[in-house]
Amino acid sequence: MDVTKKKVLNGYHVVFLVQNIMVGMGLLSLNNSLSPVGYGQWWLPVLFGLVANATLIPIIWLALQYKDDDLFDIHEKLFGKWIGKTLNSLLILYATVLFAAVIQNYLDLIQSTALPGRLMTGHLILFILLTVFIIKGGIKSLARFCILTFFLTGWMIYFLRWGIAEGEIRHLLPLFNFTASEFWDATKKGYNTLVGYELIMFYFPYIRKPEKAFKHASIGIWLTTSFYLAVTIVGVMYFSEWQLEHVLFPVLKLFQAVDLAFVERIDTFGITIWVFLILTTAGAYLWTAKKGMDSVRNKNSQYHIYVMAVMTYIIINLPISQLMRKALYEKIFYVSYGLILWPILLCLLHLVRRKKKEAKK
Amino acid sequence: MKIWKRARQVVVESKNKLSSQPQPQPQSQSQSPTPTPTQPELKPVSLASIKDELKDIDDAVFKDYQTKEGLVTVVYLSTLIDPLILHKAIILPLVNDQGEVLKSFDAMEGWNKQKILMSIVNGNTVIYHHDKLQYLKAQTFSPPVRAISSSEMESSVIGPQDAFTESLNTNLSLIKRRIQQTGLKSKEYTIGTETNTKISVMYIEHLVNDENLQRIQDRIEKLDYTGFLDITMLKQLVEDNPFSPFPQYGATSRPDVAVGSLLDGRIVIAMENSQTVMVCPSSFIEMFNSSEDFYNRWTTATLLRILRFTGFFITIMLTPMYISALSYHPGILPFELLIMIQESRSRVPFPPVIEVLFIELVIEILREAGSRMPTKIGQTIGIVGGIVIGTAAVEAGLVSNTLIVLVAVSALLSFLMPNFLMSNASRFVRYIFILAAGLFGLLGQMLALAWLFNHLLNLTSLGTPYMTPVIPRSWSDLRDSIVRFPLAFLQKRTGMSRAKKVNKPTK
Repeated sequence: MDVTKKKVLNGYHVVFLVQNIMVGMGLLSLNNSLSPVGYGQWWLPVLFGLVANATLIPIIWLALQYKDDDLFDIHEKLFGKWIGKTLNSLLILYATVLFAAVIQNYLDLIQSTALPGRLMTGHLILFILLTVFIIKGGIKSLARFCILTFFLTGWMIYFLRWGIAEGEIRHLLPLFNFTASEFWDATKKGYNTLVGYELIMFYFPYIRKPEKAFKHASIGIWLTTSFYLAVTIVGVMYFSEWQLEHVLFPVLKLFQAVDLAFVERIDTFGITIWVFLILTTAGAYLWTAKKGMDSVRNKNSQYHIYVMAVMTYIIINLPISQLMRKALYEKIFYVSYGLILWPILLCLLHLVRRKKKEAKK
Repeated sequence: MKIWKRARQVVVESKNKLSSQPQPQPQSQSQSPTPTPTQPELKPVSLASIKDELKDIDDAVFKDYQTKEGLVTVVYLSTLIDPLILHKAIILPLVNDQGEVLKSFDAMEGWNKQKILMSIVNGNTVIYHHDKLQYLKAQTFSPPVRAISSSEMESSVIGPQDAFTESLNTNLSLIKRRIQQTGLKSKEYTIGTETNTKISVMYIEHLVNDENLQRIQDRIEKLDYTGFLDITMLKQLVEDNPFSPFPQYGATSRPDVAVGSLLDGRIVIAMENSQTVMVCPSSFIEMFNSSEDFYNRWTTATLLRILRFTGFFITIMLTPMYISALSYHPGILPFELLIMIQESRSRVPFPPVIEVLFIELVIEILREAGSRMPTKIGQTIGIVGGIVIGTAAVEAGLVSNTLIVLVAVSALLSFLMPNFLMSNASRFVRYIFILAAGLFGLLGQMLALAWLFNHLLNLTSLGTPYMTPVIPRSWSDLRDSIVRFPLAFLQKRTGMSRAKKVNKPTK
């Protein structure tokens, strides 16, 4: 099996890993989270794409300096063993909570739309087991699953056709009809739909051609961005401003506009097939948590996956209030913004250390 | 101690190559410590001891003949030998005493008792020369064989109609008849500690991937299993993932398919007493290809392939969809359809999942019963059982009309695949989907689908990913996957076989 080899990811693996991990629950509520800027929102994904691509530069640059290390190893090298390990433990916590957040957000949605009034414990366990099953094959297994997911879910973009047909193209203009604070609001909420590409810091050592990783990751980012752009344009055309602000999952509403002869409510179908996208995102975070566990304990073990899975199950079932949970899940996305910017600091640190070393010589 | 034996009455090639092949070590208890081949004939094997070993075998024949060169004893197992051949080739020359006749047989100098016994059991005739204390061997193996007929498992309208039989030699000759060159190698192995079954590993030397060959040879040499009754048993023992419901190696009973795989750089393994040969490595998509695809026009072939391939997914999704639509998401069906189904379901007292499981199991039972019964009764039972049970079940209110249609369609679709093991696998997987749908509705189905895909993506066949050419992709392979391009476009060997020469020679 390929699992034993270290360098397993080809270019297209990287493209789809980046692309699929980014698309998660975020897309479903994209129009809603961008609603502070109203109809002007449709071009924001392009801006986000640019920002993402810009923040990708320090990430890849740093990773290229440490070709065979992931972020966990880099932490230990730059900060020393103890601070590094503490940071890594925090990262594990981050990955686990995000894993839990991704799963629970999705299951909550399923519970409210597709399976109203059912207990989700069974689904949750099955979901976690399946993620574990995917991750057990290593990062390559996940990458392959990502490619498959792209083809299994990408065609759903066709459903936007009905939205365009019933939409109003005049909504697209004017472009900049919002204030700075509204823009800031939308960015803060909307950018979390793009979070996920930062995980490249963790699977970078597995990439076969690291020099080309930037190109491939950028392709991934722009693939996602184009999907988002399509969704926001159609969303803006189809919805009224009031709807944008108050409909929590506009994409589902767009699905409902679909009019096919043999299926009545395509949104049920769409939301269940969405599980593939959630699985890839959740799987990536679980894998990251597992890798973190490996590096903190200095030991590679498949059991870490199970430990992480059980931990996630406990986190999801913690007896805390719904409000607190929601706050936690929202805050965790702000942590990812921090993680995206974190490599800039690390790059500086790396340069300083290199200077020092050279000075010593 | 290494035992090797050959019984070939046909043309024997590469005699000296075979002897250097390491063979699995049979652990039969009759073996006594015998001298190694390096120090031959410490003491001659006496005929009495051979007689002793062959006692209680009622077809073992010992006959004495007086010839010019002295007394000889002819030993053979009469059931493995055609009396006419024996008479013409051995008895007549011996009795007519043409002088120097004994020299025309192969001498067995330096052979120990075990080898002599094995060569008798293999159907050779052993001649003991009393004066010279020497054993001679003549190849007379001619067991009863079935004539070559057309394949019942993989029948086709156009294309060659001959199929493999149970005889290894016949099967080899059917393949060698089609590829006439010395590049086609066939290595013989003996597997099965008790049965000593012969298998032949065939490949085209300048095409086959050496790593693949090495891998399969290693696995065969490591085999430790009592007896092999059919090649499917060997297949399961050398598979990459024995726990998977999917067959990972191809199987065919058609020589043309086997030859096609050889030309693609694959390895074909044939076994004595087995009507099918095994093709490795093989991929998921190839399980949906039939040999007739290449004899048909490409349009028809493509249409049929798409039908088979989508058939696989429909067959595992159709009845589960019925369950999830009715018990979890009635909204996804158009209103009229929902009314219709509810109407036909109005008298059914069970939840849909029980209903589906019931009728699926009935179909499975009918299929199994029909295929195990004598052909004439089997058909009757199938038709009568199908119609009677189907109608009666609907009238009794056990199942709905709609479901009968769905189940019948999905049962038919599962038989579209040319590969029987694959169609079995599809039916097995369907039960997983039914249970998932019954438990968790459409979400359960999608989770099951995710499981299925992930499982397929992680499967390998002889170390090559099972889902080629889709993932990992290889653009030239896509021309001959679900779509069968016109033959002129199929210029490359598939990535699956990792052949030494990728391009097929043109002109």
